[in-house]
Amino acid sequence: MAADARRKRPVTDLHFLSATQAAAAIAARTLSPVELMQALLQRIWRLDPRLNVFIQLDGEAALAAARAAEAEIMAGRPRGPLHGVPVGIKDIIDVAGLPTTCHSKILRGNIAKADAVCVAKLRQAGAIVLGKLSTHEFAIGGPSFDLPWPPARNPWNRDHHPGGSSSGSGAGVAAGLFPMALGSDTGGSVRNPASCCGIVGLKPTYGLVSRRGVFPLSFTLDHVGPMTRTVADNALMLEAIAGHDPLDPGSAAGVPGRYAARLDRGVRGLRVGFVRHFHETDQPADPAVTAALEQVARCLQEEGADLRDVTLPALGAFRDVNRIILQSEAWAIHAPWLRERPGDYGQLARRRLLAGAFMAAGDYVEAQRLRTSMIARVEEALRDVDVLLCASSMDPACRIDNPADIERTYPRQARVPFNVTGHPAIAMMAGLSANGLPLSVQFVGRYFDEALLFQVARAWEKATGTDGKHPPIE
Amino acid sequence: MDKAEIDVLARRAGLQKAQLEFPDDLAAAAKQAAEAAANMKPLDDQRAEPWPPMRAGSGL
Repeated sequence: MAADARRKRPVTDLHFLSATQAAAAIAARTLSPVELMQALLQRIWRLDPRLNVFIQLDGEAALAAARAAEAEIMAGRPRGPLHGVPVGIKDIIDVAGLPTTCHSKILRGNIAKADAVCVAKLRQAGAIVLGKLSTHEFAIGGPSFDLPWPPARNPWNRDHHPGGSSSGSGAGVAAGLFPMALGSDTGGSVRNPASCCGIVGLKPTYGLVSRRGVFPLSFTLDHVGPMTRTVADNALMLEAIAGHDPLDPGSAAGVPGRYAARLDRGVRGLRVGFVRHFHETDQPADPAVTAALEQVARCLQEEGADLRDVTLPALGAFRDVNRIILQSEAWAIHAPWLRERPGDYGQLARRRLLAGAFMAAGDYVEAQRLRTSMIARVEEALRDVDVLLCASSMDPACRIDNPADIERTYPRQARVPFNVTGHPAIAMMAGLSANGLPLSVQFVGRYFDEALLFQVARAWEKATGTDGKHPPIE
Repeated sequence: MDKAEIDVLARRAGLQKAQLEFPDDLAAAAKQAAEAAANMKPLDDQRAEPWPPMRAGSGL
């Protein structure tokens, strides 16, 4: 690429270019995808030994793909809206020819034969796969130190956990190792690392993104979602991966939308329902989280939103329903390995997965009935408001080496309700704690109305510049 | 759930190996399951149907 073209590219450090910026610069031939890939690989080589983001980096293949992308673009053959943009993939999602280990000894050496549908769609849009990323074991057990690979660390403070289970995805996006990543979310596993690492994580409507080629945790609770540093990138990524898959039994038949279409329309006149009881009485939040949520509410009001209080079932009720469904379904998947190879799981995953063996069929049916009533309650609330505002995590991320604190704080969250109901929910930064760790907020929308969710999230991002806040790691 | 009950259920589930090697994990798992089930407040309507378990609005 010519030197005069490079001079015109955005001045942001290459590693903190958003996917949208990078794609535009690559399409305009002011940025070489090879140069971008080399810059990211150098950063990965320097920082990953401290962050443990990757299970397997596929650097040579990524560089070769970047060279191919450059040739295609120079030949006037753009492939799609993400042409030349690197992406990281959570290691429960298949990438052809790479291992899918689920961060577990159980699947060590398991090589995927084909791309998961969501990965194939990203490649069709032109994205380049950088490698496979750390997760909690089978997306349920972590952070753990008794697995073949170490747990990912939080780039805002390496002594703290980055959330999970999509921990490598969250830490890598926040640290500027790649601009976007795929995660999965069964009880909050996209939104937890997004909250802990100060990025944007979306759990789309149940069924909007195909789960084929993604190792299941719980059939009726699993979602695949985009993780990015900006709201616009999240919308761009969702546009690439959404769509009906006739071979995924949970896939919705609807046509995917244009998710970035309304990004900058603001919130004037929108009705925002604030679910205060989640963080005020159900699970009283850290005062810094409460203050941050109030600030988000005030900000949206100042931008013209109509704010009103909304009451939903208590968090504990959602949590118990989620737990019974998740652990029952996970038992159906893991029973053969738990019988034959219990010692090949880490302790956290083993304990959580074994619980399904003790669930009664009647409990599962009762949980599904309660789920139906919870869906009705959230639907009812969303008839009176356009979007819900609530907490994501009740605390900033605690130290990764303190199991008691992790055990105490991990369940203190308001993400499971929307796995139970399937509504789309986005978590993002709401500020920083006194010790410099991200605080978070969550917005929840109507089924398949991710575009409105992005509109509200973008209003908050634009008002406060959360997309420009990066961890102090070099 | 007492130990005898855990043992019966674990054997029925084919978890003899875990019983031998990880009895504490089995006990912790059984406790989790029992607590979650005990916490659930059943619906008043005994005829309420659980199906379909997941229906994302009118899109499916």
